[in-house]
Amino acid sequence: MTSIDREGGRLLVTRLATPLVLAAMYGIAAAVSDAFLDPSYVLNLFRQVAPVGIAAIGVTYVMILGEVDLSVGAVISASVVVCASVMDGDATRIPLAIGATCLLGLSIGAVNGVLVAYGRVSSFILTLGIALAVTGLTQVYSGGTSHGIVAPGFREFLNARLWGVVPILGLCLVAFVAVGVTYQRTSAFGRRLYLIGSNRTAAQLSGLPVARTIIWAYMLSGLLGSFAGMAMIVRSGASGTLTGQGLEFQVLAAVVLGGTTFEGGRGGVGGTIAGCFILLIAFNLVILAGLSSYPQLIVMGAIIISASAIQSRFAGPPR
Amino acid sequence: MPITRRQFTAGSGLALAGLSARSAFGADDPIEAEDLLASQIVDTSRFKRPGPYTVGVSAGYLATSWIVYERQYIQWAADQHKADVRQLIITDAGFNPQKQVSDIEDLMRQKIDLLIYWPVDEKTLTGTLTRVIERGVPTVNVFGGFSASPGTVANAYISQLRLSELVASELMKSIGGKGRIVAVLPIPGSQEAADQLTGLKRVLKDNPGVELLNISYGSYDRAKSKQIMENLLQRYPKIDGVFSPSGHMNLGIVEAIEDAGRLGQIKMSPGDELNGWLKWVARNKTAGAVTFTPSIGKVGLELGLRILKGEPVPRGERVPSEYITPEKAVAIADASAPDDAWAGPLPREFRPR
Repeated sequence: MTSIDREGGRLLVTRLATPLVLAAMYGIAAAVSDAFLDPSYVLNLFRQVAPVGIAAIGVTYVMILGEVDLSVGAVISASVVVCASVMDGDATRIPLAIGATCLLGLSIGAVNGVLVAYGRVSSFILTLGIALAVTGLTQVYSGGTSHGIVAPGFREFLNARLWGVVPILGLCLVAFVAVGVTYQRTSAFGRRLYLIGSNRTAAQLSGLPVARTIIWAYMLSGLLGSFAGMAMIVRSGASGTLTGQGLEFQVLAAVVLGGTTFEGGRGGVGGTIAGCFILLIAFNLVILAGLSSYPQLIVMGAIIISASAIQSRFAGPPR
Repeated sequence: MPITRRQFTAGSGLALAGLSARSAFGADDPIEAEDLLASQIVDTSRFKRPGPYTVGVSAGYLATSWIVYERQYIQWAADQHKADVRQLIITDAGFNPQKQVSDIEDLMRQKIDLLIYWPVDEKTLTGTLTRVIERGVPTVNVFGGFSASPGTVANAYISQLRLSELVASELMKSIGGKGRIVAVLPIPGSQEAADQLTGLKRVLKDNPGVELLNISYGSYDRAKSKQIMENLLQRYPKIDGVFSPSGHMNLGIVEAIEDAGRLGQIKMSPGDELNGWLKWVARNKTAGAVTFTPSIGKVGLELGLRILKGEPVPRGERVPSEYITPEKAVAIADASAPDDAWAGPLPREFRPR
C-alpha cells in the first residue's frame, strides 16, 4: 500500500468517523430495546430530530468558517412567535407567515454576519449579545406570553404520515439535509467555507470574498433557524416565547460531535446530522431502558462523552 | 392568638426543624404540616401605616403565560383598590437571582410600602427579604407554593399536595382503581415536582391495584413531554393512565398517544385550566382540569393591603383548587383565544394582548 493509499484511507475514516459511531450506537440501542427495530419508531426519530437538525445545518456552515452562532435558539423562539402571530389562525395566511418568518431569520443572520465580518468583536460574544437582544424583543412583542394562533391544517399536514408510516416532517428534514450537503459539497460557497476556515489570511490574500461569505453563512444560519422554529411549531403546537431556549447548546453539541470544530476548516452537514441522531438516541435510549430520571442524566452524559471520544479517535487531531 | 416577631421566627425554625426530623421518620402528614404553618396568625401591627401605598412587585421572571397572567391579576387588583394603591412598580429579574436581589434593593430605594414577589431562587433572596421586613416593609410570596422562609411575612398559595391528590384521585376513578400508569412531572428537583409525587403516592397507597411504571420530568415543555411519551409508549405496551397536572405537558402527551393510535386505551389525568388543555378536554369530553389559578396574584395584593392596615392575617392564604369537569370545560374553553391563555375571571381589558 502506497502512502497515497494510506492517506486516502485515513481521509475516508475521518469523514466516516461520526456515521460509524452512530451506526455502532444504533446497534447497541437496538440490542437494549427492540423499539429501534420498529420502522415506525425509527422513522419517528427523524420527526423528533427535525428542529435541531435543520438549525444545525446552518450553524455547521458558520462553524466551518471558524465562527460560531449562539443566537440560533433566540431565532427559533422569535420565529415561533412571528409565524403564529402572522398566521393568526387563518389558513390563507400560511404563505405570508412562512415568508415573514424566513425574512426574520435572514435579517437576524444578516446583522450577525455584517457585525462579524466588519467588526472586531468575537462571534461568540456578538451572537450571545444578539441572542439576548432578540429574546428581549420577542418578549416585548409578545408581552411575555405566547402570541398568535397556528392555522388549522398547518400542523396537521406536517405532522401526518405518508402511507401511515413515513412522517412528512421527517421527509422535510431529509430534504433540508440533502440540499445542505449538496450545497456544501458542490457550490463555490461551500469550497470557500473550508478555504476561509482553514486559513483566513491566505484566503483574503488570494482575493476570496471573505466578508461576503461570512455574511451569507450567517444569513443561512438565520434562515435555517427560522425553518427550525416552524418545525418546532409543528412538533409542539405552541407559540411560546421561550420555545428555543437552550436549543443552541443542543445544536452546538451536535455540530461538534459531528466533527466540525471551533477552529474551522473541517466537518460538514452529514457529520452534523449524525451528531444530532447520536444525541437523540442517547436521550431516548435511557427512557426506553427504563432508567429512572436522575441516573438518566448520568448515563446520557457518559454516552455523549464516549461517542465524542471515539469520534475524535477515528477523526484524528485538527490539522 | 397573635404572635410576636421573635416568637414567629423561633416558632418557624422549630416547626421546620421538627417537620424535617419527624418527616425523616415518615411520621407526619405533609398536608397537616403545611396547614399548621399556614394557619399561624401574623402580628402585622408593626407594618400598619396610612395609605395610599406604593406597591413593589419583584418578578423572578415574566416569561411564562401563567406568570404573565398572575401579573395581570395583580394589576386588576390594584385597579380595584385604586384608593389604596397609589403606584404599582413591577421589576423583572429575567431568571437572574442576583438581579432580583438588585431589583428589590431598587424597589426599597423607591420607598415601597409592600413587596410582592415570586423568586427565581428563594434561598438567594432570603437575606434580602429579611432585611426588607426589618425595614418595616411586609413581604408576600405569590409564587404558587407556600414559603416558610423567615423572609416571607405571608403567602397567597395553592397547595400542590392537595392539588396533586385531587388530580390523582380523578385519574384513579377514570381507570377504575386498577391498571398501570406513568407520571410526567414538571421540573426535576423542584418543590412542585416533589409535592406532586408525594400527592400521587399518597393516593396510590389507597389504590393497591394501580402500578406506577415510570416517573419522567417534562419540565412544563410540550415538545419534550411529547418526546418522553413517544418513548414511554414504546417501552410499555400497556399503559392505562397518565398522571400529569400540567396542561402544557398534557397537550404534548396526548399528541403522542393520538399518534400511536392508543387514545382509547389510555386515560389522562386532569391538567390545569390552560385554554389549550380545556379546548382538548371539551373536544374529547374526558380528563377535565384541576385549577392552578394565577388569580393568587390578586389574592396576594389584597393580603398585602390587609397587612398594611394592621389586620392580623394568616401566614398562608390558601386558594383552593377546584375540579373542572369535561362538561364545564365545554363552557369555559375559549376557541378564539390562544392555547396559552388561562381561564378565569380576569376581565378582558386586563388580559395580555
